[in-house]
Amino acid sequence: MMSAVINTPTQAMPAAMPRRDSSSQAAFWLFWAAVVILGLFVPSVVASKYVMGVLVNSIILGVAAVAVGFLACQCGLMMFGAAAVTGSATYIFAIAIARYSFSTGAAVAFTLFATTALCAIVGALIMRTRPLPFAMLTLALGQMLKSLVMTTDMRPITGADDGLPLTFSGTFLGFTQSQMSKPESFWPIAWLAICGVVLLAWAVGHSRLGQVLRAITANEERMRFSGFNTYWPRVIAFTLAGFMGTVAGLLAGLHQAFASPELLDFLTGGNALISMLLGGFGTVLGPVLGAVLFVLGQEKFGSSGHLELLTGVGVVLVIAVFPRGAMGFIHDSWAWLRGRLPSKKKEQARAAD
Amino acid sequence: MDLSQVLSASQIANALALASLLTILASGLALIFGLRDVMNFGHGSLFMLGAYLSYSLGGLMNFWAALVIVPVLLGAIGVAFEYLAIRPLQKRTHMEIALVTFGLSLIITQLIVKGWGPTALSISSPPVLSGSIDLFGKPYPVYRVFLIFMGFGTCLALGYWLKYTKSGMHVRAASQQPIVARMMGVNTDRLSLLVVCLGTSFAGLAGVLAGPYLSVDPNLGASILISCLIVVVIGGLGSIGGAIAASVLYGFIHVMGSIHSPTLAVLAPFIMLFVVLLWRPQGFGSGRVT
Repeated sequence: MMSAVINTPTQAMPAAMPRRDSSSQAAFWLFWAAVVILGLFVPSVVASKYVMGVLVNSIILGVAAVAVGFLACQCGLMMFGAAAVTGSATYIFAIAIARYSFSTGAAVAFTLFATTALCAIVGALIMRTRPLPFAMLTLALGQMLKSLVMTTDMRPITGADDGLPLTFSGTFLGFTQSQMSKPESFWPIAWLAICGVVLLAWAVGHSRLGQVLRAITANEERMRFSGFNTYWPRVIAFTLAGFMGTVAGLLAGLHQAFASPELLDFLTGGNALISMLLGGFGTVLGPVLGAVLFVLGQEKFGSSGHLELLTGVGVVLVIAVFPRGAMGFIHDSWAWLRGRLPSKKKEQARAAD
Repeated sequence: MDLSQVLSASQIANALALASLLTILASGLALIFGLRDVMNFGHGSLFMLGAYLSYSLGGLMNFWAALVIVPVLLGAIGVAFEYLAIRPLQKRTHMEIALVTFGLSLIITQLIVKGWGPTALSISSPPVLSGSIDLFGKPYPVYRVFLIFMGFGTCLALGYWLKYTKSGMHVRAASQQPIVARMMGVNTDRLSLLVVCLGTSFAGLAGVLAGPYLSVDPNLGASILISCLIVVVIGGLGSIGGAIAASVLYGFIHVMGSIHSPTLAVLAPFIMLFVVLLWRPQGFGSGRVT
């Protein structure tokens, strides 16, 4: 019964053997540590600037998609307005630098703190609602922020529709502005950021908090009767997702050094949501895969102007045919290749949910 | 500022004009949600499609023909929506269907950009309605008065249908207790086809009516969808009465706010939304179709 409810990332970790075995657990950690370290050397292998640009953009989108996927997987909540979080992070960062002349490092620290704190406050309000109003509220929040930064009253602060171009003062972790604007030299920051965010999402998913969250999603009433607080864990989950979204917004701010109202647009938030759906949100890495696919699609079809049309078709198809996304598809094919058909019982239990 | 400035007759009329558009849209949204549990994120783009179709039909024939034909066409889209999207996905969660409608809205918006181009179009009101009338000593566009009558007239007709006819009673029953209604011999599938058609053709009607009132561009759908969602959440999901009350409130806040402080006008609906959800998370109305 619980196995149907818990869509834990274990399903996606091919290295995850039975977890009680300590030697295979050590192998599991070694494998992923090696992936993280080897990942740092990607720019020295990939010579093409174009490919590096695609990879960095996938990572920025991927971090946001992991945040959206975290909330979808742990709380069953779809954040339509992910742009509200990522966009406000970029804006807070930009305002701190352009209007209050923070140094880059201080602005990063301030943004992480301020945006996460704001998410905690918004979460405390928004988590009182059911999933459907939640989706609409986050959508409305993003739209409100977009209208707000575009009003003439806010022009002295946000630059309205001109946006805010940034000039960094000082370096961030030893990186200068021109280094961060180039994908190949920005890579280490982006790579470590996404590894950190994925680790955070994975760790929370495997913690007691994750179990409580999924149990609340499955049956909130029963959890309340069993003496669990069903409100605060979800507020914490929203705050954590907000923190991950902030990281995505910060990466965008550091890399592009520009904040514009489009960052808060309905469609920008939609991209993260669509990436998550494409990749499948049952696993932590699914949204990352989805983001890579999405950015590749953007590169391929963006110039022809068919991108949004295909995105729409993609969303409909994925939901109708592959509800568990590309990662679910890969997982099933992997299981099938190993001669182990995807267990029918699990599928039925999922359908019954 | 004195009170007459805050509440002049023409501003009240402006608020009602916006509210009447929102009531048509929100009641369509509420109907579909009440019966099918589907939150249609594509409602805004259907509305926009209605406005664009009325632009083309208005050019070919005239406004009045568009006013009749467009809702029928959108009703046909509703049939397709019911058979191709809602029924096959009936067993899925609300969220998955909502995401499908979100995908459909992206598709419709892009088809509109392909078909009519990305620039804003303006639609002139029909000659009969293009003048202005005297409203308490000040001239006021006749078209907006017509809009108000059409908006609230449609809602009254809908209310009458739901309250006093047999099929309306079935809709109310099926949206409150679908299983019991089916046991009592109500054909809920046929009913939901009717309701989805009605909901989408209402979106088309609102689109035609909005043509001469708003500027028609590809962002229209997303912006009206947000207003509509705010209205249905404040009104109580699925409650038509609540949606009408919330539309009027939204119209007033928007118009009053835009006169005194544009920033406040932008924020007020959202602040209202948060206040309502904190104070009464289920919204004003009693929920469902009542």
